[in-house]
Amino acid sequence: MSNTRTESNSILPVTVVCVIILVAWYIAAIFMNTVVAQPKIEALGGGFANTVNVSWSLDRPVIPAPHQVVVEVWNTVFTIAPWKVKSLVYHVWVTLSSTLLGFFLGTLLGVGLAVAIVHFKLLSKSLMPWIIASQTIPILAIAPMVIVVLGSVGLTGLVPKSVISMYLCFFPVAIGMVKGLTSPDPMQLDLMRTYNASVSQVLWKLRFPAAMPFLFASLKVAVAIALTGAIVGELPTGAQSGIGSRMLAGSYYGQTIQIWSALVAASVVAAMLVYGVGGIERIVNRHMGARA
Amino acid sequence: MTAKAVIETQDLSLTFTTADGPVYALQGINLTVNDGDFVSLIGPSGCGKTTLLRVIADLERASNGSIQVNGMSTERARMARAYGYVFQAPALYPWRTVEKNVGLPLEIMGIADAASRVKRNLEMVNLAGFEKKFPWQLSGGMQQRVSIARALAVEPKLLLMDEPFGALDEIVRDKLNQQLLELWAATKKTVVFVTHSIPEAVFLSSKIVVMSPRPGRIIDVIETNLPASRTLDIRETPEFLKIAHRVREGLKAGHSYED
Repeated sequence: MSNTRTESNSILPVTVVCVIILVAWYIAAIFMNTVVAQPKIEALGGGFANTVNVSWSLDRPVIPAPHQVVVEVWNTVFTIAPWKVKSLVYHVWVTLSSTLLGFFLGTLLGVGLAVAIVHFKLLSKSLMPWIIASQTIPILAIAPMVIVVLGSVGLTGLVPKSVISMYLCFFPVAIGMVKGLTSPDPMQLDLMRTYNASVSQVLWKLRFPAAMPFLFASLKVAVAIALTGAIVGELPTGAQSGIGSRMLAGSYYGQTIQIWSALVAASVVAAMLVYGVGGIERIVNRHMGARA
Repeated sequence: MTAKAVIETQDLSLTFTTADGPVYALQGINLTVNDGDFVSLIGPSGCGKTTLLRVIADLERASNGSIQVNGMSTERARMARAYGYVFQAPALYPWRTVEKNVGLPLEIMGIADAASRVKRNLEMVNLAGFEKKFPWQLSGGMQQRVSIARALAVEPKLLLMDEPFGALDEIVRDKLNQQLLELWAATKKTVVFVTHSIPEAVFLSSKIVVMSPRPGRIIDVIETNLPASRTLDIRETPEFLKIAHRVREGLKAGHSYED
């Protein structure tokens, strides 16, 4: 009941924000594109109507108008078979597969590190600085090295991109899980002690369940970062496919509409991934007796 | 007939080192709890009654002196799962249903007839029918009863209870006191019960240990000898009031109400 109410209440503000963004975008498109469109506008005799028409329909605009992006997305998604190189769906799938593998590996690594840190005091002192340092290095600097190093041992294609994705997304998981695994209160831990429970029993029956809210908060951040990592991983290889390669190719040839449609695809995929994690979270919560 | 000693301490003391200097939580504790006793530890906050219970449970270690539980060290006794412990708060795991919470120690100890034990103990604390509920769906009193059922489910000979009814209102508390007494009479368990309520201590106990703070020590031990089957009405009888008076005098003598 309360859920439907919040949803209908939020329609108006969401619409207003979208309209404001669209209006600002169209206005910006006029001002930014007139620079390149000036000769064409003048050839048509100038005036406001021509300015608007031309700057919203250039082949290679500085910034494409929203409807140009929509048309490009529509054409590359629905009018081309998904297995063709020109299809956006094909590129999304390429990026999505390395994202999901990277996310999976990153989650494993993050949870593993957190479990180790929580159980061995020494590790939290010795490992934590490295974990934090790993995130201070720009991924653009690391990515080419990862690809070269892995390439030299024969790993190309999906794996290096996933490794870069993993490198970015293990961090929030590790930090969140350290917090989550140490979240049980002293009384809940004392209870286990009175049962003479083993370390692994405490981990599985107390620490892991208690860490679930922290895990899912981290996973939502991690899955979005994993996508970023996969896209970044496609750039230095000059990859022939993937959302990143579309952006790169678009920038080589001045195809701004293609870049923007790749951006739209990336943000739609990111949103779906975050919603997906949220959906799993709701299912897990229901099984763990969360208040409805 | 001499009763078997379940807990025996000699010159037990425990000092916590803190930034502000040492805290003498327990000093010179000599206490014997016999099989079948219901012993209350009573005293104001900071008198070490909870600490003493935690030492018995091997949740804290004594600094000096000796303590034996069932003739073993406290650590061996804990590893042998010699006792059930009820905390001040229910300490239920919120992601487990009532029956899963009660079954938790059985899962951990690998006890086979878990289902029937869970059922029996939930019935004993009047919570049959609430098996599938989650803790947040229960009142505070019911949650504490779940935690008592959980402690009883392992069928310990020794029950350690740390102000289990401290957070509950008077009416619920009276009812649970009555139930606990019936349980004790029926099962012949040994109970060590921490409280700061004089009527509760006198009503429940066969032996009352009066404690006083700074340093935490025992200042009086009172054998009550009230009839084994008693109701809450006993609290108006002269015998009851006499014992309550002696407890109060003991607490006063320990200067425990001065600050």
